[in-house]
Amino acid sequence: METMDARTEDRTESFLAHVQSGGLVETGDWMPDEYRKRLTKFIEMHANSELMGVLPERDWILRAPTLQRKLALTAKIQDEVGHAQLLYRVVEDLGKPREVCLDDLIAGKSKFHNVFHYPTRTWGDVGVIAWLVDAAAIISQKALLKCSYAPYARIMRKICWEESFHILHGRDVILTLVTGTDAQRELVQEALDRWWAPLMMFHGNPIPAEDDPMVRWRIKSQPNEEARQQFLEGYVPQVWELGLTLPDPKLRRGDDGVWAYTEPDWNELMAVVSGHGPASQERLAFRRLSRTEVDWVARTVLAEAA
Amino acid sequence: MSSPSRVDLLLDLADDELILGWRNSEWTGIAPFLEEDVAFSSIAQNEIGHARALYELAARELGTDADAVAFDRPVAEYRSAPLVELRRLEWARTIARHWLYETADAVRLEVLKASDDAELAGIAAKIDREEVYHRIHAEMWIDRLLGSDEGRPRLDAALDELWPYALGVLDDELRPELVTRVEAKLGRSLPDVDPVPRGKHETELADLLEEMTSVRRSAPAGARW
Repeated sequence: METMDARTEDRTESFLAHVQSGGLVETGDWMPDEYRKRLTKFIEMHANSELMGVLPERDWILRAPTLQRKLALTAKIQDEVGHAQLLYRVVEDLGKPREVCLDDLIAGKSKFHNVFHYPTRTWGDVGVIAWLVDAAAIISQKALLKCSYAPYARIMRKICWEESFHILHGRDVILTLVTGTDAQRELVQEALDRWWAPLMMFHGNPIPAEDDPMVRWRIKSQPNEEARQQFLEGYVPQVWELGLTLPDPKLRRGDDGVWAYTEPDWNELMAVVSGHGPASQERLAFRRLSRTEVDWVARTVLAEAA
Repeated sequence: MSSPSRVDLLLDLADDELILGWRNSEWTGIAPFLEEDVAFSSIAQNEIGHARALYELAARELGTDADAVAFDRPVAEYRSAPLVELRRLEWARTIARHWLYETADAVRLEVLKASDDAELAGIAAKIDREEVYHRIHAEMWIDRLLGSDEGRPRLDAALDELWPYALGVLDDELRPELVTRVEAKLGRSLPDVDPVPRGKHETELADLLEEMTSVRRSAPAGARW
């Protein structure tokens, strides 16, 4: 046993040196249990987020006010389901079957991103989600192009490509509204006021890179605060340029280029992602119900496949 | 100057495709498999795309734009068939509707493709190029459910229930062709019933349109979205 442990330790050390020096890992390669566990959990959360992200937007396909918007929104949501499908496949290759992931999701055993725990109230939300939530997401996803796990990094290329179109769609919805009637403009401002706090929490609390095991294994290469700063630098000036305001009096860019802001309530973030957000339970209940409704279809198809 | 019946014909098709496009996208995010979620979303996008092309033609004759034709008419003026208006159905009925509609639509498009009206024939041909894949998808599910002990009775019940609605998609003279095709595929006869005709709207349509146009109606007519 002792020799086994010593051998595993050696392998783990050389694996760590490999990933830290930019080396890549493929599905069939040996990997330490901790790496596999963290990687699986991370990608599963990403997949869950793509899938749960469909729910806040799906009702707006019906309410989309023009044929063009209806088509664009349907296509965007379809992309997200497609991303979930690709990501669950990566998770499956790491050893956790898709059906188990979906069971864990509806049982509340696994997580999904904080922004998908909030309700969508108006057409303004549709624009803010497509523009700013997707903008925040693409910053994290671009950083994941450098992930040590190569199959995940490869999928991220396709995902980033598609997300960049979502941002354009979102920006176009927003621009049309802010140049429209006063009431249309107010839709955007009101949505922005509600979404700002969740957006500021999106990249997570500022863990120093050296304390973050995800960075150590080079699953992630970008510290949370760096992602948030990139988001603020890229989008706050654009929001202000449209004559919109953001509900944070402390928000300003320092002379050193670092953005100052009011510290988000990290306890709220923890509560939200562990299923206590304003729409968490309703969304999970909806997914549970719809899964029960179609249970017989899965049985039929799986019986056929057996 | 075109006869009003040309506009009516365009709106029959366009309203069917718009409403069914929405009904199919009701599965977005909650279909039995992610693969089906993506498939139904593609089909929905095609249908809404077809609706848009048809509304554009109708709008040209009516002197307005496609969005106004699609969204700004009173419920009573919609020409959709009751089959497409039924609220999201459970899976066996969804598949039954999908296949019955696609089969009826194929009959209708074949006639339009042979029309003397070159523009109408052209748009029918263009639409049919995508509908081919919808039919393949629908037939694959029909075969799959018919071949399953649990699926077959569910599908059979759904087909019998929706059959009068399916007949209502087509005019009198085209119905016999639908009966022939459906019975040939199923290897059984379907109930001899009166069609639920086009224009006799289910209450679902009023609810649907109310919600569909809620954002649009929140700004004065002519606002950009």
